[in-house]
Amino acid sequence: MMSLASYLIISLVLFVVGLVVMIARKNIVAILLGIELILNAAALNFVAYSRYVTNNLDGHIFSLFIIVVAAAEAAVGLAIVIRFFQIKETIHIDEATQLRN
Amino acid sequence: MFLQFLFIASAFLTLACTIAVLVTKNLMHSCVFLLGTLIGVAGLYATLGADFVAVTQIMVYMGGVVILMLFAVMLTGGKDFVSRAQTLLGLPATMGNKWTYGLGLLVGVVFLLTNVKLLSNIITTLPTAEINNDFPSTVSRLGHLLVKDHVLAFEISSVLLLGALVGAAIIARPRKHN
Repeated sequence: MMSLASYLIISLVLFVVGLVVMIARKNIVAILLGIELILNAAALNFVAYSRYVTNNLDGHIFSLFIIVVAAAEAAVGLAIVIRFFQIKETIHIDEATQLRN
Repeated sequence: MFLQFLFIASAFLTLACTIAVLVTKNLMHSCVFLLGTLIGVAGLYATLGADFVAVTQIMVYMGGVVILMLFAVMLTGGKDFVSRAQTLLGLPATMGNKWTYGLGLLVGVVFLLTNVKLLSNIITTLPTAEINNDFPSTVSRLGHLLVKDHVLAFEISSVLLLGALVGAAIIARPRKHN
């Protein structure tokens, strides 16, 4: 039951759902939710491999830095979302066309 | 026995809440289901013996990121759910339509099958290390690793967090003109 394969499958489901959320949603906050899911899948993979294969703590260090980078990314991304909402009064991704021409 | 129960409960919580993040119609509910997913992943970390990572996950994600996301939803929600027409799936327009969901599901299925094919080779041929179930605390060893082997990444991440803090404050500050 508890083996490397089950953790890899859970991580794969997390990654695929994050990918589908990023593609399917048209709300910028929902796209950031998908990015968080993908980063969690990567961190879970690191810890699972670190327990079942290499047996040292380097995977834990990687997971900690992934969490730090995800926190920084969420702070800056949500600041951009709030600024975008102040300008456009919406957070629909199709309205973000200022760089088109 | 306890680990088995924790693993099953965490895996079920993770998978169910992840699917709920994908299919729910309300962005606020989506954020709350993301909270359930993160709690489940923290439980999976606990079953892997990663106590410090599990606690960090709970503190940083649930205390920080999800609260930030809920604030962003509450500050930017409103009009999209009221004024825009609903699409054929009954979703609000900002939550995607049938074309984006079709494309997303196609990409997801292709990626899933590709990875199942890759993983089936990896899992059957992987050399596994010796497994012991008496999890010692990882905190002191992680501390030593962070200030000895990985001290450059540690310092760079502190600069990254400072830059993110200042950058977020500058980007989101209220502007008088325009």
